[in-house]
Amino acid sequence: MNKKNIKRFISINLLILFFAICFFISVGIGAVDIPLGEIVKIIFLGENTDNRVILMDIRLPRVLIAAVLGAGLSAVGGVMQGIFKNPLVDSYTLGMSSGAAFGAVISIVTGIGVFGYATTGTFAFLGAVSTLFFVYYLSKTKNRVSINSLLLSGVAVSYFLSSVISFMMMLFNNKIEHIVFWTMGSLSSSTWQKFIFSTCLVIPGVLLLNFFARELNIMSLGEESAHYIGVDVERLKYMLLAICSLIVGAVVSTGGTIGFLGLVAPHIVRLIWGSDYRRLIPYSAIIGASILMLSDTLGRVIIQPAEIPVGVMTSVLGGPFFVFLLRKQKSKGA
Amino acid sequence: MDYEVRVEGLDFSYGSKSILKDINLSMKTGSFISIIGPNGSGKSTFLRNLSRYLKPQKGIIMLGNDDIRKLSQKEISKKVSVVPQNILMEFDYKVKDMVLMGRYPYVKRMKGETAEDIKIAERSMKYTNTLEFSNRHFSELSGGEKQRVILAQALAQQPRVLLMDEPISHLDLQYQVEILDLVKKMTLEEGLTSIAVLHDLNMASAYSDYIIMLKEGKVFCKGEPKEVLTVENIAQTFNTNVSISKNPITGKPYVYPISTISKKKRNFRVHIICGGGTGVKLIQELAASGFDISTGVLNIGDSDWAISKEYELDVAEETPFMDISQQAYDKNLELALAAKALVLLPIYFSRANIKNIKLLMDDRLDDKTIYILENGSFAQRDYTNGEAMSIYNMLIEKPNVIQIKEGQLKEILVKADEKDE
Repeated sequence: MNKKNIKRFISINLLILFFAICFFISVGIGAVDIPLGEIVKIIFLGENTDNRVILMDIRLPRVLIAAVLGAGLSAVGGVMQGIFKNPLVDSYTLGMSSGAAFGAVISIVTGIGVFGYATTGTFAFLGAVSTLFFVYYLSKTKNRVSINSLLLSGVAVSYFLSSVISFMMMLFNNKIEHIVFWTMGSLSSSTWQKFIFSTCLVIPGVLLLNFFARELNIMSLGEESAHYIGVDVERLKYMLLAICSLIVGAVVSTGGTIGFLGLVAPHIVRLIWGSDYRRLIPYSAIIGASILMLSDTLGRVIIQPAEIPVGVMTSVLGGPFFVFLLRKQKSKGA
Repeated sequence: MDYEVRVEGLDFSYGSKSILKDINLSMKTGSFISIIGPNGSGKSTFLRNLSRYLKPQKGIIMLGNDDIRKLSQKEISKKVSVVPQNILMEFDYKVKDMVLMGRYPYVKRMKGETAEDIKIAERSMKYTNTLEFSNRHFSELSGGEKQRVILAQALAQQPRVLLMDEPISHLDLQYQVEILDLVKKMTLEEGLTSIAVLHDLNMASAYSDYIIMLKEGKVFCKGEPKEVLTVENIAQTFNTNVSISKNPITGKPYVYPISTISKKKRNFRVHIICGGGTGVKLIQELAASGFDISTGVLNIGDSDWAISKEYELDVAEETPFMDISQQAYDKNLELALAAKALVLLPIYFSRANIKNIKLLMDDRLDDKTIYILENGSFAQRDYTNGEAMSIYNMLIEKPNVIQIKEGQLKEILVKADEKDE
């Protein structure tokens, strides 16, 4: 093994260790604290102790969903930053998250949502995809999509949808609690069914994104240069955005809109390991999963017995980091 | 003849705005070709058509024996590399990783980069002198180093054609030379066909085997630097007056722009008697100041004759090594009569050209000021056994003759012209 491989081996192990620590903290802490030994006994040895029901039916699905959603959002954020060559981009910027929330809200207020989680989820996904295509269509001129116009139309559409959601909250104030869940992002109603649904979409999506790491690296040279090196830029953007909206749809329909994580996690990876997408996507996924598990746990325990929605937690934690990035970019003279 | 790039009947337009019109060109393997022309003449658009970033509405582009319409983007990338003005990286990469990106068209998705790819990337870095900092990050490099990395990346594509869009316009002089030297070396040693859009006409002149001059989307002219870089061509395409001399080191044309501040046309004609290169500087200087100039009698092929032709002056001319004929003398007199002032530059006199000084004794020129530029003793320039000397002695006694030193003339003539008005 050469020096480079040793370094990579250590990095991966450290990441897995970090993930494991976050996992056990998140599973263990709550209204009832479960010691590590008991967790191991219940999960891995299948023993039947006092806290088995709390752990297996309530806490474990919630923590695992946080991990899956965190991984999905972070991988998507990193990929979108690469596509748009812009460090301040995530699934919010193109209106995908607002579109998904909008779709979910529609299903709630029209009552279609009563058929269960799957319908709301489908609506969220449709919302994400159709918003993305609408934004894409808006910014298309002469068969090319300029990144600036894409970002601008994304932000515009995103604001528009947010205000429509607010308006709906006013009209249907009997369903306000449901809607708030979507707009703030919460994992409080996690179930195994939701875990399976989100995992089936998010994890293959992230693996698929990883497949395009080499192209994403080349995209950092700029679209024109990437074209000259042989990348089919338009097709690449199209495919990556489709995969991203699938992931975002699954995430939003499971946990509502969770901000800042997709923006921050890839930057943490960049600061430590550099920009190479072959590492960036998997590492961001692991870091993002860990952060979301921790954020949700913090939200659960800070003001017990009340809960702070996870979307609020990530924004509170991620906001300062975002400002830090902005300042760093300013000092770079960009 | 072996042509690497052939363009036939190329038309390109953005919407209804026609950018390139009926371009026909052939570019030889192993040559360095510059594309010059003013802003908006379609240089970059032409390059982007060659790389198929833009698709022409009409016309054929052949790379070797392949029509580029029939090639996939990856196949084109194996034949053509493009070097942009500069690359702005939002996210930072190591130099070796960036160079390895150039192997993309050869890399199979499942297999990844092979040992062969890494070897080729390393060779490209060695060639461009970037191997020593292959582990540094791109953002830490100087402008010249960055451009060398981009060239290494382009080279890693193993192209046959290298397209460059103003590859040096962001660089300091030493890097401009370094980059173009490197490209020239690559062109010769690797048998590349290098096509560069260049802003600097003198760089284009120094490095190019051929120059293509574009004007309003058409090929205005093409050929070797000395055929393309002429006062006339540059005036017509760039709408700028320049003066051109030979670069003393390379022998290639060297272009001096002439400021438009002094471009005012004067209604003042000066007839200059010169020869053997004595007149070059003065002709350029006076032409730049807007004087109307004629020269004579000059031997055909003399450097003063050449510059007179370049500036399209009226010249009284004579076959080399022949005595000045009556016909040439009459023409010279005619030009002298048409002028307001006459100038005699410090030329050598022999039997062949003695009529050039005799002319100034003509009574009909008595109402014109005659300036004699002194430079050392006249006797030393006299090879006529004193005949020219005696004319000279009579001449300087005349009231309308003024003896001046080098460098004063332009100022004196400008004053004379202003007094005239």
